[in-house]
Amino acid sequence: MRSLSGAASIVGAAVIWIALLWPVITLLTHLSGSAIASSLRYPGALDPLITSLESGGVTLVVLFAICTPLAYMLARGTLPLPRVWEAGVLCSLLLPPLVIGLLLVFMVGPFTPFGELIGHFNLSATNTFLALVIAEVYESAPYYVVGAQAAFASVDPRLEQQAALLGDRPRRVFRRVTLPLASPGLAMALAVAWARAMGAFGAVIVIAYHPYGLPLQIWTTLQETGLASALPFALVLLVVALPLPLAAYVWSARAQGRRRG
Amino acid sequence: MLKADVEVDRRDFTVRAVIEVAPGERLALFGPSGAGKTTLLETIAGLVQPRTGTVELAGRTLTRTATPRVAVPPWQRGIGLLRQDPGLFPHLSVRDNLAYARSAVGRRELTSLADALGIGELLSAMPARLSGGQQHRAALARLLLARCDALLLDEPYSGLDGVLRRTLTGLVVRLVTERGVPAVLVAHELADAQAFASRMAVIDRGVVLQLGDPDEIVLRPVSARVAELVGYLGFAAVPGRPDLVAGIHPDRILAAADPERGLVLTGTVAASRPAGASWEVDLQLADSVVTCRLAERPGSAGSQLTVTAVEPPLFGSGDAPVDPVAAATQQETARQEIRP
Repeated sequence: MRSLSGAASIVGAAVIWIALLWPVITLLTHLSGSAIASSLRYPGALDPLITSLESGGVTLVVLFAICTPLAYMLARGTLPLPRVWEAGVLCSLLLPPLVIGLLLVFMVGPFTPFGELIGHFNLSATNTFLALVIAEVYESAPYYVVGAQAAFASVDPRLEQQAALLGDRPRRVFRRVTLPLASPGLAMALAVAWARAMGAFGAVIVIAYHPYGLPLQIWTTLQETGLASALPFALVLLVVALPLPLAAYVWSARAQGRRRG
Repeated sequence: MLKADVEVDRRDFTVRAVIEVAPGERLALFGPSGAGKTTLLETIAGLVQPRTGTVELAGRTLTRTATPRVAVPPWQRGIGLLRQDPGLFPHLSVRDNLAYARSAVGRRELTSLADALGIGELLSAMPARLSGGQQHRAALARLLLARCDALLLDEPYSGLDGVLRRTLTGLVVRLVTERGVPAVLVAHELADAQAFASRMAVIDRGVVLQLGDPDEIVLRPVSARVAELVGYLGFAAVPGRPDLVAGIHPDRILAAADPERGLVLTGTVAASRPAGASWEVDLQLADSVVTCRLAERPGSAGSQLTVTAVEPPLFGSGDAPVDPVAAATQQETARQEIRP
């Protein structure tokens, strides 16, 4: 009887798991080698991939540099009115990407103070690489902050105190204790942010239609030549976006295992 | 010499304490949970800032709230702190934990200390692999290698079983004496404080009620509150002295009338229960109930029982706090008086 219910729960879990994976399975079953080859052999077909990788990479660097300190302060509750700060992060998490795009036009468009400021340096935040990075940062930042905050919150503050009492300045404590202990969680947060940045579409289509990244490439190919030729790019997106989260997952699992000794 | 004279605000009361610990001396801060003992330790360590006061260690001012203001940060104090959680860094091997404060520590010095503490075989293991006692040994070794000038212990071994607790306490006592550093232990178990300390301070709600030799405090508490804290269960009226009450410690009881040795109490057995190898009896006196432990089972409830409380400490029966010096003199006089 017990083995029967055990088997039933495994079957149930498998059904849910396969249902979640179904889009990926569908993608793989609807692609033929020749279709992939003909789509990707088109001149300039892989440029959006390069654009996506570059803008995603810059986005991650920006997120890590700007949002990591914020996430740490949120986790430690050192800011006044911590609930207000957290609510702010959640608000930005709740904004639909398309709305973010609309609002970005009002924030960094050519006729805004920011737009005019960077205009002096011959820069523009509409339909440029900079615009793409800004859109990706806004779409992925809340996910990174929430994940990084949880990662820092999992580090016992008494370990940091202990390190300080053993003679380390705060900066050194952060480098030798806080960061290594939070790094598995930080890696997962970065991986999620990367996936969000790679797939960023709503804000991007409003403010950074050019240069094309992969999501826009899929969208325009779908509009212009139809489903069959858009699918190969979907595979490219998946193949490109996946390795980093996978690597982060494997690395953080190994780091946890090492700590168990 | 470690000196602290501080006032630290807490949510519900202010901790006011003056302590001095000589090199190699071991001071225990004893008191109930929430008495402000840990706050005092954290103030010495520089983790908490006092409202007013000074902290000095080996002639160096670490904290001074008066101008010129001094607030040496924790990482420049050279003070070691051991808590109940050993606080080993889980991502570093035991060896790297030990060498955390001094990466240049000699291999010889490290391994010989680890051997002396019985963790020589575990240097390449990760902390999660160690038992609780081994983790505490490693934490102690780490502090010793960091060469701290003072050692603060915040009930480090209260989660461990009795034998291990005694072994580790003995180890700390030996090392503190050898190295001649001042050490302060926070304890809420009297036995822990007694096993460790050469001097003891009884703290309640942020105030040091009594400071002195641990055995002396247990035998001669200066006030009824101190008596309660060190284990006196109940007070008895003193014949002929309505202004005084005698503190009755359950373990300082003779099961017979012996007026030469102390205060003879006669009452009825209200209740009794086994307590370890002895019997604990609630004895109903004329106007109070006291608890005493006897080697033999007493008569059933309601039966009469006469015992002697050996040299009981005496306190003013009013609520007014008793001045320690006056109380000691008064006790001595009263003790003479109650002897026939």
